Amino acid sequence: MFNKFKQDMKKYWKYAIYSTKAQLKSEVANSYLNWLWWVLEPLCFMMIYAFIFGEVFQQKEKYFPVFIFIGITLWDFFNKTMLQSVRIVKQNKPIVSKVYLPKYILLLVKMGVNGFKMFISILIIVGMLFVWKVPVTINVIYSIPILITLILIVFGFGCFLLHFGVFVEDLSNVVNIVLRLVFYMTGIFWNIMTKLPEPYNVYVGKCNPIAFLLSSMRDCVLYGRVPHRKLLLLWFFVGLAISALGIRKIYKNENSYVKVI
Amino acid sequence: MEDKYAIEVKDLVISYRNLKKTSIKRNLLKFQRQKAEDFIAVKGISFYVREGEILGIIGKNGSGKSTTLNALAGIFSPDSGVIDLKGHSISLLSIGVGFQREMSGRENIVLSGMLLGFSEAQVREKEQEIIDFAGLGKFIDMPVRTYSSGMYSKLAFSITAILETDIMLIDEVLSVGDQKFKKKSYNKMKSLISNKDRTVVIVSHSLSTLEELCDTVMWMHDGEIKKIGDPKEVLDEYVEFMEKS
Repeated sequence: MFNKFKQDMKKYWKYAIYSTKAQLKSEVANSYLNWLWWVLEPLCFMMIYAFIFGEVFQQKEKYFPVFIFIGITLWDFFNKTMLQSVRIVKQNKPIVSKVYLPKYILLLVKMGVNGFKMFISILIIVGMLFVWKVPVTINVIYSIPILITLILIVFGFGCFLLHFGVFVEDLSNVVNIVLRLVFYMTGIFWNIMTKLPEPYNVYVGKCNPIAFLLSSMRDCVLYGRVPHRKLLLLWFFVGLAISALGIRKIYKNENSYVKVI
Repeated sequence: MEDKYAIEVKDLVISYRNLKKTSIKRNLLKFQRQKAEDFIAVKGISFYVREGEILGIIGKNGSGKSTTLNALAGIFSPDSGVIDLKGHSISLLSIGVGFQREMSGRENIVLSGMLLGFSEAQVREKEQEIIDFAGLGKFIDMPVRTYSSGMYSKLAFSITAILETDIMLIDEVLSVGDQKFKKKSYNKMKSLISNKDRTVVIVSHSLSTLEELCDTVMWMHDGEIKKIGDPKEVLDEYVEFMEKS
């Protein structure tokens, strides 16, 4: 399977890149201000959350707007990709029913599109670090393995959602509900470590990969702390394992997808 | 004379069994398990296509013709049996490789070409030829969703017709677009087909087309091969059979 994956990636990665670029371009082409929305949307959500949770509920976190914005940036990438991967085969029916391609390539294209938007958000974060005069330490380096782990985990879960989304019609409803639960369990606008009572904060903070990656990201970027390295490594390997299983699942079943959609 | 096979199909079985969609809601409301629907579209057929041969497939609706063609193109996997293409490149010249509706025609040409296994440079080289053949004018830089259905199929046909592969599978595309394009595409197809090195499999309901173009005709009935051989013989028998039933 590994060899097949390598071969297919070699054959299709150019397609994936071209398709990602074309999709981003077409989003901009539809309305010239669309790229502005990639910036405005997370900024607006940040302001809403900062107002509601900072002013109304009196949350106290250092650099609260940046704290929220980091949360939104990573969460959006995860959330959007999960939602899209459920319907991705059906959405690409014209292609899937006319020519063979490994179906996870479709997922990679979507991840490319969402990843590019995440990249823009990250640039904004860099800007915000200057504006809020956050003392950045060398530990910011850890954001790179954190992002890689996030990408692996998103890809792995995405593969499974892609597969089951073909056969289970109303999976997207369920995914929506589950994602909402995960959203509140992730702490986009609060710190789960201090807000949840012991010992639940540790359970949620370590067992929910997104929550863990998020708080690690804030730790290393905002507060100059070293994230829990062993746990990060563990989640990296878990992500790798889920991705491998997901690819195997898709390879085993992908040819029957077209008979169902 | 040495016969080299381009396609070798052995005991091909394709079924649509166990693939019913489920929904969580339905499973919650209904407690008994749904019976798996067992429909076998292709029931263990074997045939060969020689290099450069033109094979026509005929049969009534639902006899498994298109399923066979899709299996050859690699879109379906066989439930059992073997399809051996001997390493030839293959494309399904039906109403086109799928398009991404939000993207322009030009981008779709490159994307489709890449999916057919060509490199970006190779597609770029042929791009102008495709655009000229499709005759879409300035629409080529507009998003595909703005196309009329005729323009859509013209572009689709042009891509697969100009980006030539060793084996071409044709599924009823002999009539695409308006009268003028129909003639143009028919002629293009004929010249593609008559290329001695190209192996072609055509699925069609048009008796005259099959008789004119094909070296061999295969008649499928309910997922089995009823008869395969000389076009005239097979087609005569097919007509007789269809009129009787």
